[in-house]
Amino acid sequence: MAMIDEPLYPIAILIDELKNEDIQLRLNSIRRLSTIARALGEERTRKELIPFLSENNDDDDEVLLAMAEELGVFIPYVGGVEYANVLLPPLETLCTVEETFVRDKAVESLCRIGAQMKKNDLVDWFIPLVKRLAACEWFTGRVSSCGLFHIAYPSAPDQLKVELRSIYGQLCQDDMPTVRRAAASNLGKFAATVEQSYLKTEIMPIFDDLTQDDQDSVRLLAVESCAALGKLLAPLDCVAHILPVIVNFSRVLLDKSWRVRYMVANQLYELCEAVGPEPTRADLVPAYVRLLRDNEAEVRIAAAGKVTKFCRILNPQLPIQHILPCLKELSSDSSQHVRSALASVIMGMAPILGKDATIEQLLPIFLSLLKDEFPDVRLNIISKLDQINQVIGIDLLSQSLLPAIMELAEDRHWRVRLAIIEYIPLLASQLGVGFFDEKLGALCMQWLEDKVFSIRDAAANNLKHLAEEFGPEWAMQHIIPQVPDKISNPHYLYRMTILHAISLLAHVMGIDITCQKLLPVVIASSKDRVPNIKFNVAKVLQSLVPILDQSVVENMIRPCLVELSEDPDVDVRYFANQALQACDQVMVSS
Amino acid sequence: MWKQFLSKLPRKSSKSDCASDSAHNHPGSNASSSGNSIQRTNSGNAGPGRSTSVKRMSSAVFPSSVVAGIEPLLSFKDVSNTEKQNLFISKLNLCSVVFDFSDPNKNSTEKDMKRQALLDLIDFVNSGTSRFTEPMISASCKMFAINLFRGFPPNYRSNSSCGGETEEEEPRFDPAWSHLQLVYELLLKFIASSSLDAKMGKKFMDHSFILRLLELFDSEDPRERDCLKTILHRIYGKFMVHRPFIRKAVSNIFYRFVFETDRHNGVAELLEVFGSVISGFALPLKEEHKIFLWRALIPLHKPKSVGVYLQQLTYCVTQFIEKEPKLASSVIRGLLKYWPVTNGQKEVMFLSELEEVLEATSVVEFQKCMAPLFRRIGFCVNSSHFQVAERALFLWNNDHVMSLVAQNRQAIMPLIFPALEKNSQSHWNQAVLNLTMNVRKMLSEMDEELFLACQRKFEEDEENRVAVEEKRKKAWERLEIAAAFQPMTGNTAVLVRPVMAPAIAATLT
Repeated sequence: MAMIDEPLYPIAILIDELKNEDIQLRLNSIRRLSTIARALGEERTRKELIPFLSENNDDDDEVLLAMAEELGVFIPYVGGVEYANVLLPPLETLCTVEETFVRDKAVESLCRIGAQMKKNDLVDWFIPLVKRLAACEWFTGRVSSCGLFHIAYPSAPDQLKVELRSIYGQLCQDDMPTVRRAAASNLGKFAATVEQSYLKTEIMPIFDDLTQDDQDSVRLLAVESCAALGKLLAPLDCVAHILPVIVNFSRVLLDKSWRVRYMVANQLYELCEAVGPEPTRADLVPAYVRLLRDNEAEVRIAAAGKVTKFCRILNPQLPIQHILPCLKELSSDSSQHVRSALASVIMGMAPILGKDATIEQLLPIFLSLLKDEFPDVRLNIISKLDQINQVIGIDLLSQSLLPAIMELAEDRHWRVRLAIIEYIPLLASQLGVGFFDEKLGALCMQWLEDKVFSIRDAAANNLKHLAEEFGPEWAMQHIIPQVPDKISNPHYLYRMTILHAISLLAHVMGIDITCQKLLPVVIASSKDRVPNIKFNVAKVLQSLVPILDQSVVENMIRPCLVELSEDPDVDVRYFANQALQACDQVMVSS
Repeated sequence: MWKQFLSKLPRKSSKSDCASDSAHNHPGSNASSSGNSIQRTNSGNAGPGRSTSVKRMSSAVFPSSVVAGIEPLLSFKDVSNTEKQNLFISKLNLCSVVFDFSDPNKNSTEKDMKRQALLDLIDFVNSGTSRFTEPMISASCKMFAINLFRGFPPNYRSNSSCGGETEEEEPRFDPAWSHLQLVYELLLKFIASSSLDAKMGKKFMDHSFILRLLELFDSEDPRERDCLKTILHRIYGKFMVHRPFIRKAVSNIFYRFVFETDRHNGVAELLEVFGSVISGFALPLKEEHKIFLWRALIPLHKPKSVGVYLQQLTYCVTQFIEKEPKLASSVIRGLLKYWPVTNGQKEVMFLSELEEVLEATSVVEFQKCMAPLFRRIGFCVNSSHFQVAERALFLWNNDHVMSLVAQNRQAIMPLIFPALEKNSQSHWNQAVLNLTMNVRKMLSEMDEELFLACQRKFEEDEENRVAVEEKRKKAWERLEIAAAFQPMTGNTAVLVRPVMAPAIAATLT
């Protein structure tokens, strides 16, 4: 090959490719940046490639995004951590572009690099970068800087730390709400690196200001950071500084924005641990009860969704006294989404309350949710059956359970049917064989003939799971006898489902049953008049080859495949040949 | 206090009240309050109870020094001129109670009373009496704030079990509109009124007031946004001092929409206001305004909902170019930056905007951006979405565009020819084929020699395409090999290198 003698200019190739008007080619070459770097060697990568990238960042956002990502893992190609600082300039520029995705990725990569850099290098290179970004004229740089402080701060000498804290304080008061939002959402991360003594004196005032911002979008993010801050503070300080803010936000009158209350509802349980039991009882429980009764459904949804997490932290008396009455109200809430959120977590209350309270108080709620008119609510209850089974056993529920399952199994929305099928193995394990055979067995076969493919597919998988749960003998009794009937369905799509089910079952049932009962059915199907069935037979046979005896393969499977490989249909021939190759391979390897 | 007022009302439905009372009042009076006949009889003896009730509420709203001390249900006609000011404030206080409209039957009498008070206030402001005093303005702004500045309810989630495939969203109408509408009307009349002195008004219609008013543009109710549009326009016109702030605040809304949330209901309305704001800019354009074009308007082309407000956006953009033709090339480059690549509908819209912008573009500006522009148009011409291809080919029907192309044919024809050729060979749509043939013909008539040269070049390129592809693959392969030879810090490849090198060298020779 003559080309080997030509000198190789990796940079030239890159430049060439990046000039191409086809964005896909530009993208491909950026994705192979590491190859170029390796070809160049470390020194030339530092001196040629990285400067070139720093200057050429006027490309499509998609290319820039790829570049930002690649540079994040580039340390080995520039010569290791000692040289990591050369990667900062191109990423700094990417931190200031317009597109949010590119900026975020650049920040992520900078954090990744900064986390590996030596302390001195951070002081010399990284911190100045953070300061430059924070002082950018255009908001994009300032927004990006907010996500870098937690990397920069720990390595800074005291004097610089003072400066960094004050810069962060300024960012929190920035003229542009976008910057304040970025500062608010990164506050928790930054605060975690700040010394205890400054937390109270400098970070908490910032937090207070943010919670009183005139934009609800900023307040919202400040509230989001309260749990993180709460965990950093000593319980007493948390009670003094954070608790009042949060409790106030939970009142409708003080914050008209339901979004803020929604956020409080989501965060409240995390504060319980931070403030300790007594303030929790005195302040947080009443606040939480207020949120459970909020006017806005969205807030109730958030609060209801956290009920288990919240109650788990409390002493069991409190939930019974204060929370349970609310749950009773919520179980007949006018919003189906509230009921649905409640249904998805309420099962978790059973272990917290203990058997007696569960039977007395929770059971009626379960039952009413199980009869809800909205299918999602019922599904959510059924999906967590195992939790209640542990506490009170399923007998108390089974009577209401069955009608609910039956109704869901025939729901007109296929997604609902799909969901219930996916819970069948769980139900089977909880209810036991006896109950299952009696009531649900027929359903499982019926789904194989559903109108929607996803349901038939799930039904086939379900049979496999059941066979695993109850064992091959059970399957011999309940599933296998129905196969011959089903495989003669006049519609080829249903026949295909059965083939699929067979291929799944074969792996569970063991060699004997497969050879005696399943294989003949498959072989017989190779005579089907529909080509799709025939090439699926080939596929199924191929999947059976590795698990069957070689004699079976040679005597039964191969002749069938040979016949199929001469089929008039091109696809059938293709898959038959694929399967034959698989047979050959097994021959060779054995 | 509502109970106290109610106790003075006859237990009749207030509508019939109005009818019977109007006969009793001055004929043609439109300020009739449902309770005013009763008021007159009561004003003497109900004194103490009334005044305390008013005071109690007023003190919550604003300092007691300006307590109105007058029955709010009176009619403006029935009080002396000196009392009118107090009555105005008293009625405003009455209207500062917000009712729950989720249940239409709740407090219906009180709701009617408030409605009537609002109508009275509107009439009063309309009648254009003397200047509004500071307490009057203060009380008005309080009332507007209490009624209007509210958090919007969450969007209805699409029913999850239905699969959420309903993309089309019906506009939501605020149930409290019957009151809101009147409050908005009053606000509009109030701002527009010559009785409102801008210097005094700006103290109360301050930054925070404007900010919260702007937040309301996110309302789902199109009627509300329409009111807000007119009001913002008036505020911008009347309060010169607030103009820079309004522009900044609106930019912030746009930034948040474009770079963070991708959701806002009122972008079209805000842009509509800005359309006339921009047309009012003085020449030469300030740098601040150009920055608004580049950093707010151009990025507004990115969100997926651009179709909702593109018309207004295009208007704003063309306003800029009409003011300052030198902006055209940067606008076109901006459009190219945000050009949609997977959304045919959006692409068609962009092509329309592009044509409008090109209409206003001079040759000099055109030359600055024609290469990337026609590369993009070439892609559009080849689009398998026939509407996109059609729309792109229609550009040649525009005389101005055609003349720009003709003047720069040396640069443009080589860019566009391959696209036309590919279409004529393989586009599936007959209409696109016909249009392609037309454009081809136009170009060949424009400059046959050049046309033939392009054709030759195209054929050559087609022949070389495979070779070029092959060359690229080779180059990368060699690069990979070269890379494998290089040592790398902290990488095990260093150890494998001596072993691998001969093997690779062997395969190469």
